[in-house]
Amino acid sequence: MTDLRGAIDCDVHCAPASMAALVPYMDDYWRDYVENAGMYLSPTLTGTYPEAVSPPPPADVDALREQVLDPWGLRAAVLTCVSAFDTSRNPYYETALCKAINDWLRAEWLERDERLRASMVVPTLDPDAAIAEIERVGGHPGFVAVLLPVRSDARWGGRRFHPLHEAIAGHDLVLALHAWGRIGTAPTTSGSTHTYFEDYLANSQSIAQGQVMSLVAEGVFERVPSLRVALLECGFSWVPPMLWRFDKDWKAVWREVPWLKAKPSEYVQRHFHATTAPAQLPADRDQAAQLAEMLGAGEFLLFASDHPHRHGDGNLETLLEVLGDTGRDAVMHGNAAALYGLAA
Amino acid sequence: MSSTPSTQTGAATTDAAPREVKLVDADIHPAPLPSYIAARLDEPWRSRFERYGVRVPNPPQIYPRVRNAGYRVDSWPEGGFPGSDFELMRAQLLEEHGVDYGILIPLHGHSYGMESAEFAAALCHAVNEWVREEMLDRDERLRSSINIALETPELAVAEIERYADDPRFVQVLLPTGAEAPLGSRRYWPIYEAAAHAGLPLIAHTGGLEQYRGAGWPSYYLEAHVFYANAMVALATSFIAEGVFQRFPALQVVLVEAGISWAGPLMWSMDAAWSAMRDDVAHLDRKPSEIFRDHFWFTTQPIEEPDDPAQLVAALEFTGMTHRIMFASDYPHWDFDSPAMVLPRAVPKDLRAKIMAGNACRLYGFGS
Repeated sequence: MTDLRGAIDCDVHCAPASMAALVPYMDDYWRDYVENAGMYLSPTLTGTYPEAVSPPPPADVDALREQVLDPWGLRAAVLTCVSAFDTSRNPYYETALCKAINDWLRAEWLERDERLRASMVVPTLDPDAAIAEIERVGGHPGFVAVLLPVRSDARWGGRRFHPLHEAIAGHDLVLALHAWGRIGTAPTTSGSTHTYFEDYLANSQSIAQGQVMSLVAEGVFERVPSLRVALLECGFSWVPPMLWRFDKDWKAVWREVPWLKAKPSEYVQRHFHATTAPAQLPADRDQAAQLAEMLGAGEFLLFASDHPHRHGDGNLETLLEVLGDTGRDAVMHGNAAALYGLAA
Repeated sequence: MSSTPSTQTGAATTDAAPREVKLVDADIHPAPLPSYIAARLDEPWRSRFERYGVRVPNPPQIYPRVRNAGYRVDSWPEGGFPGSDFELMRAQLLEEHGVDYGILIPLHGHSYGMESAEFAAALCHAVNEWVREEMLDRDERLRSSINIALETPELAVAEIERYADDPRFVQVLLPTGAEAPLGSRRYWPIYEAAAHAGLPLIAHTGGLEQYRGAGWPSYYLEAHVFYANAMVALATSFIAEGVFQRFPALQVVLVEAGISWAGPLMWSMDAAWSAMRDDVAHLDRKPSEIFRDHFWFTTQPIEEPDDPAQLVAALEFTGMTHRIMFASDYPHWDFDSPAMVLPRAVPKDLRAKIMAGNACRLYGFGS
């Protein structure tokens, strides 16, 4: 296993053990609603993380210390809580749930271990409420990013979300785009899949890519030049071929998106990072070296364990070897320190 | 690994003697005008077609192609539509570039195939008949792809059987967007009929694309870059559903979606398979091995990294350079000339395979 001493882990999951952990952070209306509607947090996020590929994430800071922080010797860890991905269509409930999760993260995690940072969560159905939530808690030094799911009703680059991106950048936060998202929505252009394998692969092999295309094509980075994006649990070996297509097509149909001032790949290079889990890499060392060069891996990647999720044999170690000491240090902590404003 | 599907010797029987094949174009789009279709429909379908039309939108209605309505400027025949005129296509493509074999892919089936059962079958048959009469019968270099009523597999099967004895129909056309993921069992009777007839399937970008997952793109730019991702979903579905365990000889050509994504896709499938093998327990070996034994690619629109050597590396990542075939995509705006399509970094022997050799093996040309 990779030596993690001194690493910054950019995607460590935590989740409330049950709705009961969040109820104290809700007001009377929502406590009553949650109790009477029988609202619960699905331990697998309704099939997102079945037991076969994931034990439950740590539910309190002691469990996290025991499983991750202490044995691995991490310098810092950025928490991801995706419990609000699996929610109802009621936008007010989604907002109340996100507020409760943020207050829970702040009180029970960020203020209990100085190695911890977190992505705050925001409602996906109401951009105004998302902005209000960023204004409410985004100034807390423990929150370094705003978490959005890649599975959404509308691609995140869309015009209606530009004020949200302004709020994220305005609070010096990173936009953390994370695999999975709203349940009950088919992952492919032809509908629902019949295996977890297919559903799982759709995150990295198509859906996350659609979000990158959208953020770039819609001109988000011309509108909000200081916005930085981290792709979490989205894979990354797909990036070079996607950008080759993107640049080629832009050279031909640039008239359609006159607000773009540079090649799509330049925006991605300037504004995006991606975490190392899942690694979906060649076993062959020469191929790993070729891919690392195509990716600019030493600058682009952020180490993440994605604890406690299992992604199989992705050959990350081979890639880290070909990067050499400098590239490896950048991936293991340097890039994350710069992105999130942590001590390198 | 033998890459030559033994059951698929294709269509070479119209040739009197073997001849050297230097150029095969695997993606040419003929386009019958609505009046040509109507003329080949019986009632009540003719009246229905004329009075109600069809419902699946033509892709440019949602994603306009920015310039020249998406076609080569010089490909508009007088009084027709790009691809509707045999003589213009023959002059601009077959003669101009010295095409030895040209494979027609009429895309009307992408929308016609989604209509109500018998109507869909009648429309698709009209396309196939127009292609036979107005293209195939007029030039022995041409082959075509069978349009089918995709969402009504028993009628699709009948259409495949109708053309199975005509060696000029060399494959069965699928879209990338349909009412269910393309590997689903509801479509298996079609795959069984194709395998039985020794015909490859050919999946061409388009169809009933409903952009779920991330949501809808706003621009053609995004939609076009995403072609590859819709194709990835199709290929993943074929593998995950076990189509190739059921039809071991079946071959599938992936058209107009690029190639370079396939290496990373195979790495990702193998990594996932190592973690969740029991979710797809019917797969008897690594997904990448299945992928390499059953899929083929066409070049247009091939990726263009700034450093052409990276394209060669990406093609090598696939381990499938013996399964890549040149395609021009005539008469679409992003037509690739066979003289220009491959950068100089592509070695000579690989170039020869891509321009003709690989297609000859799949379709049995020149043998």
